[in-house]
Amino acid sequence: MSDTLVETPVPVEPARKRRNWAKIAGVAALLVVLVFFPVITGTEVAYLKAGQYVLIGVVGAVGLTLLVGQAGQLSLAHPFFLLVGAVSYAVLAGDAGESGDLVGLGLPPLVAMIGAVAICALVGLAFAPVSGRLRGIYLGVASLSLVFLGLYLGQSLDMLSGGTSSGRPPPTFEVFGFRFANTEPAPTIMGVAIQKQQRLWYLFLVIAIGSYLLARGAVRSRVGRAWRAVRDNEAAATAMGVRVWWSKAQAFTVSSAFAGMAGVLTALWLDLVKPDENEFIGTYSITVAIGYLAMVLIGGLGSIPGAVAGAVVVNGLPQLLTLGATEFGWFASAGAGGLSPVLVSAFVYGAAIVLVVLFEPGGLAAIGRRLTSRQGDRR
Amino acid sequence: MNTFLQLVLNGLGKGAVYALLALGFVIIFKATEVVNFAHGSLVLIGGYFVYATKDALGWAGAAALGIVSAAVAALLIERLLITNARNADVNSLALLTIGVDVIVTEEIVRRLGADIPFVGDPYDALPLQFAGLTVFRTQLVALIVGIVLITAFFLAFRFSTWGVAMRAQAENKEAAALMGIRSSRVTATAWLLAGALAGVAVLFMATQDFSGAGLGRGTHAIALIAFPAAILGGLDSTVGAVVGGLIVGLTEALSAQYISFEFSKSAVFLVMLVILVIWPSGLFGTRELSRV
Amino acid sequence: MSAPADVRSDVSALAVDDVTLRFGGITALSEVSFTVEPGTVHALIGPNGAGKSSCFNVISGLYTPTAGRVRLGDLDLTGTAPHKLAALGVGRSFQNIALSPHSTVRDNVMLGRHVLTKGGFVTGGLRLPRTVRTERRHVARVEEICDFLGVADRLDVPVAALPYGDAKRVDIARALAVEPTILLLDEPAAGLNATETAEMGVTIRDLRDALGISVLLVEHDMGLVMGIADRVSVLDFGRLIADGPPAQVQSDPEVIRAYLGAEAE
Repeated sequence: MSDTLVETPVPVEPARKRRNWAKIAGVAALLVVLVFFPVITGTEVAYLKAGQYVLIGVVGAVGLTLLVGQAGQLSLAHPFFLLVGAVSYAVLAGDAGESGDLVGLGLPPLVAMIGAVAICALVGLAFAPVSGRLRGIYLGVASLSLVFLGLYLGQSLDMLSGGTSSGRPPPTFEVFGFRFANTEPAPTIMGVAIQKQQRLWYLFLVIAIGSYLLARGAVRSRVGRAWRAVRDNEAAATAMGVRVWWSKAQAFTVSSAFAGMAGVLTALWLDLVKPDENEFIGTYSITVAIGYLAMVLIGGLGSIPGAVAGAVVVNGLPQLLTLGATEFGWFASAGAGGLSPVLVSAFVYGAAIVLVVLFEPGGLAAIGRRLTSRQGDRR
Repeated sequence: MNTFLQLVLNGLGKGAVYALLALGFVIIFKATEVVNFAHGSLVLIGGYFVYATKDALGWAGAAALGIVSAAVAALLIERLLITNARNADVNSLALLTIGVDVIVTEEIVRRLGADIPFVGDPYDALPLQFAGLTVFRTQLVALIVGIVLITAFFLAFRFSTWGVAMRAQAENKEAAALMGIRSSRVTATAWLLAGALAGVAVLFMATQDFSGAGLGRGTHAIALIAFPAAILGGLDSTVGAVVGGLIVGLTEALSAQYISFEFSKSAVFLVMLVILVIWPSGLFGTRELSRV
Repeated sequence: MSAPADVRSDVSALAVDDVTLRFGGITALSEVSFTVEPGTVHALIGPNGAGKSSCFNVISGLYTPTAGRVRLGDLDLTGTAPHKLAALGVGRSFQNIALSPHSTVRDNVMLGRHVLTKGGFVTGGLRLPRTVRTERRHVARVEEICDFLGVADRLDVPVAALPYGDAKRVDIARALAVEPTILLLDEPAAGLNATETAEMGVTIRDLRDALGISVLLVEHDMGLVMGIADRVSVLDFGRLIADGPPAQVQSDPEVIRAYLGAEAE
């Protein structure tokens, strides 16, 4: 024990030199694969689309794991914010459409993307009277209301959503004059033309990596500590000066913004914004809410890398199986009522949830940690 | 006025069904503190057995089998999964039931294939006219069955050995154990009972009268409405579940008529939100889900 | 122990002034007054149900008293929202360890820096050089505090993996990380064995001497209280029945009666 506890100016200590070369090499290799993925897939655009869908899942799941895992709040409202994000993007960047009865502000797409995320954050913030007061499962069920509300609003506000029959096309994304569309001639990387889908891949990749780093940074900083404190003991968090209701509302707001970004990407991925016809099947349905929850659970609650792994399983598997079905004729023998890629994936992730809770509450993240045998809980 | 009375009667009938489901949630929650997200799949299991055996056993036999199978399914979830996850906290167990729900729902929907059958043969689609009112017979039968079952439940909860044990356990698990109450039997009975109630509920849910939607994902989605019913009443209150069920049934019926059919489900959830903002533990809930 | 210049000079007295607390018809505290003088260890004792916890909760803002005030120097703390107290220099520890079990010791104690730092999701998430530098400074301070409490070798260990005694110290370290002028300790010796209790006593005195801050502790362990407290207040049935130096309180007939009476039950 030292004798003094009086604050003394501390020289800024040099960054910890505990470099883990194996880890760095692994990350570098992964980055190389991701960057060259469009080259690897070449003309097989279906693989690229599958990859894009996983990246969308990464953005959404990272946001949800902050809320569910770090802040200890349950939410089933993710699809609602996907919908708000997608529609907001289309409204902010879009035009009146062929029939002329759509609302479209014609803003630059980048502005519209940022605006859509901001709108989702604000809507999430407006939910603060609920998200800041309720705990855990109560919030989970309360948040389900947003999915039903979204379904209703999407169906009734045709001028915004484009309606359930035709929907509306999201405007082509564009950054400083560079369009994420097919062009002639197109730039090439190692002989592979970088067209619309390749460009979108890079857009999604940059956003997914950005989301990952932002979330990881937040988890390691003041805001993450406050969330965990509220999750584990509200009284203690309060005594340390954390405003509990605000911390909860803030986590919900942040999570909504991530979901909003995933919504914008979903619109670009589908090349369509179209509200669902019912609450149980569709792009913004309860099934999707459960899918996102599954990602977060399978990955390990609160773990950012885990959320990524969960997104690969939940969003990647059906895509991969669908590719298998079209390319190699898997499930060919199955008619109506048979096994389908979506069904098999649902079985896999349903079972994965059960197994994780039964045998490995830390999820894939814990398994990963054990494999690389690193001490401590960095989350 | 007649329209209004009709709506109230139909709303109460629906509410009775929601009350049966919500009561199941609450019984399970009181016994194990687990929120059972797999309740909708118990409904589907019951309905599926009715559908599959109706031709062979006749409706009554099939209905009995459906109720039993939903009860057994609930018991299996409890015995095989919940009791084996001793290390998991109650919130993780709630999430586990989501996994179960995904698997069961997908499997039953796959088995049903293109069929979306109705399972309420004796009373479905036979509207009843009296005193100038037109009432769906399904809702009327549901209301009567609901009243009988809920009364029976409260009597049992109050006076039977199980009821006393169950209430003692919900109050204080350790003390109940010291008094020789076998926690595992109480818990198993709770799940069995909740499953049976879900099995009864589906007999009214997958009908022409109730929703127009046959057995399938739609039924599962209707079962979700029982969530607001249980939550707004207070997850640990049996009385709250019944009141919540009726509020939800009436809200749905009235908003469908006076606002729009599409809005009716949102209306239910909005009513729940308002109640939760004012009473974060629901109308009759006595404690918050997680403690400081 | 340490040079006088190191001792904080901004410590003010904590005055509990005529506090009454009623729940419905029950009076938990009745016109209780005492003062924690700056730089002293003050103990609040009494038999079970005497109102110690109620009094502690009034001071830490969880209950608003029916009548009376709580003051810290010129500041009126009465009815202040509990989350605002940390910024006013009130640090508190918990009887049952209230830490995040899966987070490391460092992470847990860093929570104490919450009110001393700024930054929301975006500034934290971006890990800007300035944020990182500030964070590093606070981490260094937290490590110093942990060193003082003897848990510096456990900084990277999740709290769940610590022995009870160490976790108790981490809880106090977190309260100290707030840089309080008054430290409220809720039964710091509860659950500790005799050796650990003695060590805890030494630590509490050390931190009073080194920092010059005031300490108010609620405690059952008479040995600890009489050994380290500069002053002792005794509650019984919600009333203050004695208030003075340990030796005086120990021989007070009413205190003896209260304790013997309680034990006879």
